[in-house]
Amino acid sequence: MKINRRIGWWIVWVILASAPAAAQARIKLITLPVRERVEIQLDNPSATLVEEERIIPLVKGENQADFSWANTQIDPSTILFRVIAPVGEKNIDVQVLSVSYPPNEASLVWAIAASDSGSARVRISYILGNLDKSFSYRAVAARDESALTLYQYIRLENLANEEFGSTGLWAGFGKRFLRPIGINETKEILMEKFQNVPVRKTYTCDPQEFGYIDPAQKKLRVPMHYVLKNDKADNLGSAALPFGKVRIFIAGSGADQATTFLGEDWGRFTPIDDEMRLYLGVAQDVVVKRTIERNEKIRVAGHLFNRDIIVKYEIQNFKDKPITLDVWENARLIRDEVGGDNGRDVQWDLGDQTNFDGGLDNQKSTFDKLLFHVPLPARDQDGKAQTITRKLHLIVKNEW
Amino acid sequence: MKLQIAVLVLASALTAAAWGRNVDLSTVPNRDSVQLTIYNSEDLTLVRETRTVTFKKGTNPLQFSWANTLIDPTSVELRFLSNADKLEVLDTTFPQDKPQMLYWNVQSDFDGEANLEITYFTSGITWSADYLLVADRDEGQAGLEGFVRVSNSSGEEYENAQVRLVVGTINLVEKIAQLARIPMSEVDGLRSDDKDRYRQLALRDVAVTASGLGGQAPVAAEAPPRVIKEGLSEYFVFTIEGTQTIPNGWSKRLRSIAAQDVTLKIQYRYRPQEYGEELVRMYLLTNDKDSKLGTTPMPDGVVRIFRDNGRDGLSYLFSRPIKYVPIGDKIELNLGPDPEVIFELVKLRVFRDDIWMKMHGMDVFRRVDDGAGQIEVKSDVAGWDEHAVFSQRIRNYSARPIDVEIRRSFDGHVVFRNSLKATLHDYHTVQFTTTVDAGKKTDLLFEVLSHEGRNSKQNNVTLEDAQIQP
Repeated sequence: MKINRRIGWWIVWVILASAPAAAQARIKLITLPVRERVEIQLDNPSATLVEEERIIPLVKGENQADFSWANTQIDPSTILFRVIAPVGEKNIDVQVLSVSYPPNEASLVWAIAASDSGSARVRISYILGNLDKSFSYRAVAARDESALTLYQYIRLENLANEEFGSTGLWAGFGKRFLRPIGINETKEILMEKFQNVPVRKTYTCDPQEFGYIDPAQKKLRVPMHYVLKNDKADNLGSAALPFGKVRIFIAGSGADQATTFLGEDWGRFTPIDDEMRLYLGVAQDVVVKRTIERNEKIRVAGHLFNRDIIVKYEIQNFKDKPITLDVWENARLIRDEVGGDNGRDVQWDLGDQTNFDGGLDNQKSTFDKLLFHVPLPARDQDGKAQTITRKLHLIVKNEW
Repeated sequence: MKLQIAVLVLASALTAAAWGRNVDLSTVPNRDSVQLTIYNSEDLTLVRETRTVTFKKGTNPLQFSWANTLIDPTSVELRFLSNADKLEVLDTTFPQDKPQMLYWNVQSDFDGEANLEITYFTSGITWSADYLLVADRDEGQAGLEGFVRVSNSSGEEYENAQVRLVVGTINLVEKIAQLARIPMSEVDGLRSDDKDRYRQLALRDVAVTASGLGGQAPVAAEAPPRVIKEGLSEYFVFTIEGTQTIPNGWSKRLRSIAAQDVTLKIQYRYRPQEYGEELVRMYLLTNDKDSKLGTTPMPDGVVRIFRDNGRDGLSYLFSRPIKYVPIGDKIELNLGPDPEVIFELVKLRVFRDDIWMKMHGMDVFRRVDDGAGQIEVKSDVAGWDEHAVFSQRIRNYSARPIDVEIRRSFDGHVVFRNSLKATLHDYHTVQFTTTVDAGKKTDLLFEVLSHEGRNSKQNNVTLEDAQIQP
């Protein structure tokens, strides 16, 4: 194994047992123990832990182990030195007496006592900067977009100015990999391949989040998403999905099965049982016109009033497939839109003219965010799209 | 060695003025022993050193100098450990032209050797504590090691020094480093009676309790030096076994605590005022014997936290500073949020009732729903009750059940309606706990009723048992 010149390790035999060790141990006969094993632990979200093992020769009495790190970002306060086991038949007792830190040097000196001459396997661990990881995904959807294959990659970027030979890599989940990593090298490794992951294709309008595509005509923007659920039933769910870019392709139909790129999005950190929602683009074949049809103040007492509001949606699906449109509204924003913001939360009831299929989605709605679903038929054979009209009748109560 | 004492060998007793001229001859007695008592709350170290000096009968001038060091000149004291009844310091002179030097005029009634003790304060020697905690794979127990790190940037090399570390907060009226850098004449101008009295007391207190100096053999190389702990007044003193040499500019770190199988408890906490707006995972330990600790207070320091990752390696979790932990007290380590535990507060609905109107121009209030018919148009809302129903959702995707403690504070006159067996942490903070099994979710429902406007009579939270519907 190659001796590294940036992170250095050497063992010094102190000849004069009574000498002040740290002060006098700078010019000595030294040995250079090589790395026997290196593990890079990538499970901490913001720090990379390197653990390396070496077999160090020891003489009976006091020994010095110097550790130095030139031009690398080792956090010296995190350096751990542990004796794992003696090597060979001798049962040597090895103990760390002290650690000394010389001035103006990226190094330290361990004073190590050995009960007998021999060797010991030791492990040194430290947090190393500029050795960073990230995750990315490649999703290939089936032609009918009902399922996809998700490839999860880990990318390791080594700007730590240190090279590692065959090194164990572990991200905190999934498999452990054994790979060498050179200086300034970026290594991308396939961590998992999730096959036959059901994909739900959604069309959503939400004035608060996505706004209007044509404000003058009151036409809402309708983005299309792929939604994956990170659970076992959907062939995922073995661990949280870390944040990363997702590139989405669709399988080809020709003989060469060449895929077509559909788009890309940032996949947010997705815990088990949560959904990863990937934005693919605006669905221009789905037209949603939103108007406030009614806005009436109804006095309750003095300056206390209720407000009777109807939001009307005229929806057309120009696709040749039926789809379901998700309609989100924010009750507070509707109140603010017609009556201004008074700083108070909205107390509301649904009025009897609300005509969404299935009513309010109680699972996902909250006190101010309201979700409805609208099934939309495909355009007919003449190419004409049916106009579906839905209304949200909101009675905002106890306003002043 | 920049710090030295010189016996001036002169033909006759001289005046202080004469010492300002060139000295013909001097002898330089070496240190016999040195003890460093280092305070971590201030940049302060008490140095006690002994030397052997031969006196002649009559007046003996002694010169003590500390060029390029950080010694406080007001703190230097000379004491005779032998033949004290035959030796007397006649006067101490700080020459105007040599700022880091003083002269003692010692009257001796005999010819022969005497042991001197010189004490002084210096800055530039500091110590700090840090800790290493390695939890086992199941996080039920941990190994805990404590370390002390002594750093010497005082400009002086103290060889084979006995090192004592003082844990505790002392009062200083001026910084030693500041005093070390100004001439004695200016120090005199700054000095107050209180300061001087304090210095004398501090010197005496520590000197009285100091163990014997000198002659201590270095500890056997096969074992790390023990750190012996003892209480002293409001302080705790760590004495490092044997002697240590820490060259100028160097630091040295020694183990002070080593405990295995320390009892570890995990709790998840939501306390926004302490930990921010997130549910955090805590390691909870107690510095007592039942937990395999409790032999010493733990000084302020950083705890570096690792866990056995079950793959013949460690996982780095976090580094957290802790404040001084007395024996018997708790050690609470915040590990930050756990990605396997999802913590969400969902506001389910809001409604208002008990609404009161105030008539314009009159001190008359009417409740809106009191059945009295139409209320005068010229009236405004003067008071109401605001109800908000919440679900505290917790999803535990970790492999073990978790204990969760939640604290939420509310301003104003609030009733906290719940069936969670909530308690009041203080007058406006509610606390409740739950356990969520591995792989399970829970919804903790509660209602916050806030009396607003004229309905508000208090500024506190009261608890009310109620079954809250989602």
